[in-house]
Amino acid sequence: MIEDCAIGIEGLTKIYGRGSKAAQALRGVDLRIPSGMFGLLGPNGAGKTTLMRILAGIVNPSRGAVRVEGHDLTTERGKRGAKAILGYLPQELGMYPELTAAQFVDYMAILKGLDEPRQRERRVAEVLEMVALQDSAHRKIKGFSGGMKRRVGIAQALVNDPRVLIVDEPTAGLDPEERIRFRNLLVNLAADRTVILSTHIVEDIGQTCRDIAVLAKGRALFRGSPAELTNAAAGHVWTVMMDRLAEPEQGLTIVSMLHLSDGIQYRLVGPSAQAYPTAEPARPSLEDGYVWLMKSAGEAKTG
Amino acid sequence: MKLKSSLKYSWLTYRRDSLWFPLAFLALFVVIVLIMRHPAVRFSIARAYLGFIVPLIGGILAAYAVLDDPALELRFSTPVRAEQTLLARVGLILAVQAACAFVFQLFVGALGIDLSPLGGLLRVQLVWFLPTLSLAALGTAGALAGAQTTMGAFLAGAVWLVQLMMNSWLRLNARSAFLFLGVLAPRDPGLALNQFVLFGGSMALLLVSWALLRRQERYL
Repeated sequence: MIEDCAIGIEGLTKIYGRGSKAAQALRGVDLRIPSGMFGLLGPNGAGKTTLMRILAGIVNPSRGAVRVEGHDLTTERGKRGAKAILGYLPQELGMYPELTAAQFVDYMAILKGLDEPRQRERRVAEVLEMVALQDSAHRKIKGFSGGMKRRVGIAQALVNDPRVLIVDEPTAGLDPEERIRFRNLLVNLAADRTVILSTHIVEDIGQTCRDIAVLAKGRALFRGSPAELTNAAAGHVWTVMMDRLAEPEQGLTIVSMLHLSDGIQYRLVGPSAQAYPTAEPARPSLEDGYVWLMKSAGEAKTG
Repeated sequence: MKLKSSLKYSWLTYRRDSLWFPLAFLALFVVIVLIMRHPAVRFSIARAYLGFIVPLIGGILAAYAVLDDPALELRFSTPVRAEQTLLARVGLILAVQAACAFVFQLFVGALGIDLSPLGGLLRVQLVWFLPTLSLAALGTAGALAGAQTTMGAFLAGAVWLVQLMMNSWLRLNARSAFLFLGVLAPRDPGLALNQFVLFGGSMALLLVSWALLRRQERYL
């Protein structure tokens, strides 16, 4: 039953456009998402953003059922109810550059229905502190770095103390330090709410989520833990030393290349490495698991 | 208090060119009125500003009011209703146009330019307000229907231009839908019906805009 979990999705289909111009972004997705941190992984164009927007009540499903904390997102009333308990950080985060961080978060708080000025002021200060922006609260957003803007984005998403937090590609464009800080922040937030992290960066998911789904071409290809996805690639990962490998054989995918003093060490994922007698089996990583899943489903990019 | 804060942020997030554009035209017409000496010419210029320019600017700016918002997706993710967004955004455009029209009337009044040929004080307000409301509603509906701000601005501008160029024909054959009947023929017996139609048409277009704005995914 989709009512039994924080977020329930059943047979979710989204078609943009009509007739010959119709494009199917989601094709009958079924997911049960419990509270805590949930990762949604998939290549660009997999339908992640469409799914995030449907969960945020912005995009209407074409078919299927979606419930967020009991609110039916196929109805206007349900969407309004869900939006009241939701925090959303979109992939393309637009802001008002002339506002200060505190003003922007305050404005979003008003839009989210926080009416009482003192309570709002207190909450704005709290969330800016949570994202370590208290010292920049009264600086205009136009002077902020990409990471700081993302943190303002998270602050606005948290200002109504949402039960569900949806973050779409939040670490894109951030430097490694900012990414780690951002991931840690999300994990802390997931302690007492549902956080859905959508990304195409495998590492972000591996470091933060116990529970994940992989989406490709609008379908949910995998649902389980990162360890299960990793284990799925067991027996399908090898390393091989060579001078140069132009085209990998037998449908193998080069996951990484490392230039060493005695040649290049390739890491390969695929059904078999028989064509390379010197290939040695390797312990799979989450990234290998993801690549293997994509290969198995015929979604992998070659080379 | 919430309304006050909401208005404060509506103002702070208001596009600055949506302010400078009408102010620049206001300043231009103030200068032109000052340069002209003949009372009849001054009256014509004052009438042109109120009856033609204020509505045109209102229509064009309204086309950008809703969709030209950098935080549109975030706004859509909040429980704010479509009618609130529409009211806040288009209302602000109308408020700026109203402020310009009032300032201009005070200015021409101070110069002794008589606007009474357009009617009493209330009627003079209807001369600029109804065409402004109509073109603003048209600009908004056009932008939302085409999911493109330029579409709305083009539609408002095109209707303004066609009505201006065909004013003689429209006064004779379609006076109830003629945007400029109040300013060009203030004593026309069909003026009341014209005002009613313009107001009703504007409300209908705003209703269409409301219905379109509820389909948020079209604008992302």
